[in-house]
Amino acid sequence: MSAATLSPMERLPAPPPSSPSLAVAPVAAMSAPAADLPPSRPIIDIDHVDFFYGQSQALHDVSLRLDEKKVTAFIGPSGCGKSTLLRCLNRMNDLIDGARVAKGSIRIRGIDIHAPAVDVIELRKRVGMVFQKSNPFPKSIYENITYGLRLQGVKDKGRLDAVVEKSLRGAALWDEVKDRLHASGLGLSGGQQQRLCIARAIAVEPDIILMDEPCSALDPISTSKVEELIHELKKEFTIVIVTHNMQQAARCSDQTAFFYLGRLIEFAATRTIFMNPSNPQTEAYVSGRFG
Amino acid sequence: MASTRIPPSPETQADATPAATSAGFLANKARFRFFGLTLDGCIKAFFGGNAVVAVLVLTLITIFLFKEGGGFFAQNRANLQIYRQAGLEYVDFIRAQTTGHTALTHELSDLRLRQFHRLTEAGKSLAEANAALAGFDEFANQFGDAIIPLRGLLSDLTETATALKSKFATTENLKIARQQLLAAGKTAEADKIVISEVNFDAELKPLLGTLPAYQAASAETAAKITAALTVKPALPTPELQARLEQFKMLAAAYVADFPAVEKNLRAWDYRQPVPFFRSITSFIFGRDWIAQSSWQEWYGILPLFVGSLMVSFVALLFAVPLGIGAAIYINQLASPAEQRIVKPCIEFISAIPSVVLGFFGVIFLGENLRLLSQQSWLAWVPGFPFSERLNILTAGCLLALIAVPTIFTLAEDSLNNVPRAFKEASFALGASRLQTIIKVIVPASLSGIISAVLLGLGRVIGETMVVLLCAGNRIAIPDFTAGLAVITQPVHTMTGLIAQEMGEVPVGSIGRHALFMIGLVLFFLSLLINWLAQKIVRRYRIAID
Ligand SMILES: Nc1ncnc2c1ncn2[C@@H]1O[C@H](COP(=O)(O)OP(=O)(O)OP(=O)(O)O)[C@@H](O)[C@H]1O
Ligand SMILES: [Mg+2]
Repeated sequence: MSAATLSPMERLPAPPPSSPSLAVAPVAAMSAPAADLPPSRPIIDIDHVDFFYGQSQALHDVSLRLDEKKVTAFIGPSGCGKSTLLRCLNRMNDLIDGARVAKGSIRIRGIDIHAPAVDVIELRKRVGMVFQKSNPFPKSIYENITYGLRLQGVKDKGRLDAVVEKSLRGAALWDEVKDRLHASGLGLSGGQQQRLCIARAIAVEPDIILMDEPCSALDPISTSKVEELIHELKKEFTIVIVTHNMQQAARCSDQTAFFYLGRLIEFAATRTIFMNPSNPQTEAYVSGRFG
Repeated sequence: MASTRIPPSPETQADATPAATSAGFLANKARFRFFGLTLDGCIKAFFGGNAVVAVLVLTLITIFLFKEGGGFFAQNRANLQIYRQAGLEYVDFIRAQTTGHTALTHELSDLRLRQFHRLTEAGKSLAEANAALAGFDEFANQFGDAIIPLRGLLSDLTETATALKSKFATTENLKIARQQLLAAGKTAEADKIVISEVNFDAELKPLLGTLPAYQAASAETAAKITAALTVKPALPTPELQARLEQFKMLAAAYVADFPAVEKNLRAWDYRQPVPFFRSITSFIFGRDWIAQSSWQEWYGILPLFVGSLMVSFVALLFAVPLGIGAAIYINQLASPAEQRIVKPCIEFISAIPSVVLGFFGVIFLGENLRLLSQQSWLAWVPGFPFSERLNILTAGCLLALIAVPTIFTLAEDSLNNVPRAFKEASFALGASRLQTIIKVIVPASLSGIISAVLLGLGRVIGETMVVLLCAGNRIAIPDFTAGLAVITQPVHTMTGLIAQEMGEVPVGSIGRHALFMIGLVLFFLSLLINWLAQKIVRRYRIAID
């Protein structure tokens, strides 16, 4: 990723030295990076996070460091808090009344995303998201992809055209839709819609793409297309993917985090998690004995 | 076995309310049979019956409206026919000529008023100002007097034509009376009624014989006006001078039109039948609605239609931003506590009886709006100050109150139907709340919002009490040349007129049938609006699914 695309993130103000959300002295309690991986720069640093929906706690003391330009899979049984954690990373949980990070901090490139000076809109431009159910806007394919850029005030037609083509190619959709860019995005098949959403997310050139079960509503062929796509996107983006599909996690991810009842049970290289997990619960889950 | 379970007396069945019978159903669930119908069958019959009743009532209303309104066109044609036969049409050619002159004299007096103001503002005393305008007054008087010969002729002709028309009316009434007697079998009495048919040919002779007199009078008027126009009174400012020049051009054009009037008079023939379509066009495009007149009755719906539209338009002007704005705020931005308070409040407005709103308009709003308009610091507002207490604006403000709950509720519903996923997708791309609302949520619910506005329009167009009390009830097309100030003029509306007149028109009269025609127009207008709203909503559903 070029320095130019990073600049908005760098424009984020540095966190105040002792922000209230850092009360638990994060440096001392820093979690270890995934074991047995060559050390690389962590881009996301989740540090002892407790998360609440109103009175009920959904995450218990989760600490996790994710590396740049790697694919991380979140796995675990339903309701264990995967989506909750994912949605913390771009503060989508802000939309839910009473949802809050009660303790701990989340840093992206070293900046606490809950610091008061952080602009959540800027954050979401850097951290894109693809949802479980494809949700293109009821607009044309072209307008769907240019939506994020237009929000940023880009009006230049030439640049928009270029971004549309680049994003659609990046999402392996260009050949299928290049003749109907101005047709409604809702007229595409389910798999195409999901890839359109991915194209829409990468059009704003984020650093990180969060994917919450992106293939759960797709047929096997569309699923494998999206998986191939994830392989490609890895070259440019840091990807976090939530999945219930063990094969998918094994196929596409570099590291895997296993959650259970709101706690992070094990986090390691994907191969380790699937071949040689250190925690018996992980072993039971990945081998399909519970979940 | 089952047949013995049937309640024995048919009266009790007829008396039983639905609730009571359904309670009975529960008790005898398994074995219940009613005229061989099972419980399911009965429920189906009950609800199906209600649906049938609804359709039946609608059909009956439609038939009734058509039956009552349908007679109108034939009657209106007869009405127009006698207008021609009795020579009223002929006289009205000349009347139009004098009306044109009256309009010009109004312009002159307006000019004088302005000059007078200029002069007094410049510090002149009243006497001085009057003296300075002496030249102008002479000109104006000369111009004003020019019409006297024509006007004298006109009043004579009016009398002749009116007499002929009432003679015809008497004859017609006699005919009806005899018909009734014959129908009742009283032949002897019927024979006593002597009917002498009106001989239009003979009766119209004197009227048509005045043509030379008209020519003389018209020529005299034309000569006097032309003479007056050669006088050149001086005016204090170039601006007013320019207006006077313009007036002179208008006056010259007016005189130039005299030969055309004469041509009309010569070409006029009372024997020419009035084609039936005139009866329809004079209703749809007629600019006058004059129901009681010693001269001629006119039933042109245009002023009422325009009145209804204007009032509704002003109402929507206020209600659309208010209703939609409130819907967006409540649906997207408000806290749950605010929602709990504001929503019922807006919905409660629709519970206020419209007569109460109208009453409020008459005794409070109208007067206070007028006082407000007379504040000097508001003089820049177009149409301010105004002197009519009850006008389009007063009625429009109150109608807006009636439309807001409809628009709010329906718009809020359609905003609610926008999938949450759209909102999340937008936020995830770095949109602010406002951007999300403007670029995603409102467009996605646009059809719903448009149909909310349409149904709001349907609601206010059909509203009666408020407009009857507050619109000012002057039957005239408002003067659109006044620009925005047009909304401070009084109008009458279709609904208001029906409510006002229905109790007074005799059964079978043309006036009554005309009111039913208005009813029909309203009926189809509402039908059209509802149909449009539904069509739009349906298209939107397909687009989202
Ligand atoms: N909006 C919400 N309000 C209250 N509680 C919630 C909300 N969303 C999720 N929860 C609760 O938080 C816990 C974690 O939910 P989350 O959606 O993160 O699970 P998940 O791991 O993504 O499950 P799944 O695999 O089924 O998607 C669950 O117990 C859930 O009931
Ligand atoms: Mg989930």
